[in-house]
Amino acid sequence: MNRTKKTVVISLLISQALILSIIESWIPVLVPGVKLGLANIITLIVIVFFGYKEALTVVIIKSLLISMLGGRGIETFLFSVTGGILSALVMAGLYNVKKDLFSIIGISVTGAVVHNLGQVFIASIVIRDIAIFTLLPVILTMGCAMGFIVGLAASFLEKTFRKINIFGL
Amino acid sequence: MLKKGDIILFGIISVIIAFSTLWVYYYRLGGNDSARIAVIKQGDTQIHRIILDNVTEGEKIKVSGAYNVIIHVEHDRIRFCEADCPDQVCVNTGWISKKGEMAACLPNRTMIKIEEGDEDVDIISH
Repeated sequence: MNRTKKTVVISLLISQALILSIIESWIPVLVPGVKLGLANIITLIVIVFFGYKEALTVVIIKSLLISMLGGRGIETFLFSVTGGILSALVMAGLYNVKKDLFSIIGISVTGAVVHNLGQVFIASIVIRDIAIFTLLPVILTMGCAMGFIVGLAASFLEKTFRKINIFGL
Repeated sequence: MLKKGDIILFGIISVIIAFSTLWVYYYRLGGNDSARIAVIKQGDTQIHRIILDNVTEGEKIKVSGAYNVIIHVEHDRIRFCEADCPDQVCVNTGWISKKGEMAACLPNRTMIKIEEGDEDVDIISH
């Protein structure tokens, strides 16, 4: 794939991640502060078809755009980008450590857990109180469930993408 | 659809969840529930300490910072009732009343939590 085509494809994927983030903000979740993480479907696809550098690009640009479009401040951006980078790196690491050892679902669930751990850790620093860690059991359990759904969606998408060879790889 | 290695991942995650649950259990354990103190803090500073059982009539406390939040205290319970931050997580948490419970507004670095009481001060304000 040449550079121009790659730039276009990555841009398209970023815009899809952005739209998924907007859609998920309309879906109410039981626990306040918990999100579905639908944009993670795109991160997973980018990890599988491209690599960790491209995945980081997608995560960072997506977080930047969502905090600009939502009129949210720098804190929200830093908050979402740290979790995003952390989980993207772990997911890319797991995918590349040994091909076919972990499924997309397993990688997605781990990514969600790492994302949540990172955010709660950052939150405890921002708010300077360890009481925030009492949220962990609920958040992690929810994260596993969301990670499973996202992983399932991403593995269906991966199969379809491979079948129709959408990226012309 | 799942693969062999997933068992390792799910195992590690289960251990993390089990540990955090145990920690929360011990964090909330002990002491009596009679003198609960609601602590309102912003960053490192404690703004108010309120003995929840001694609150007779509802009171609204405003905390300003990057955003403004209004905290509502009633007999036995406390909540964030208004906030002008974009995410509204603190308001959606609702009332808290049990020891060890907490609600937080990250954009404003404000937190309310319920602690075990061991003092006879009514309200300390800084």
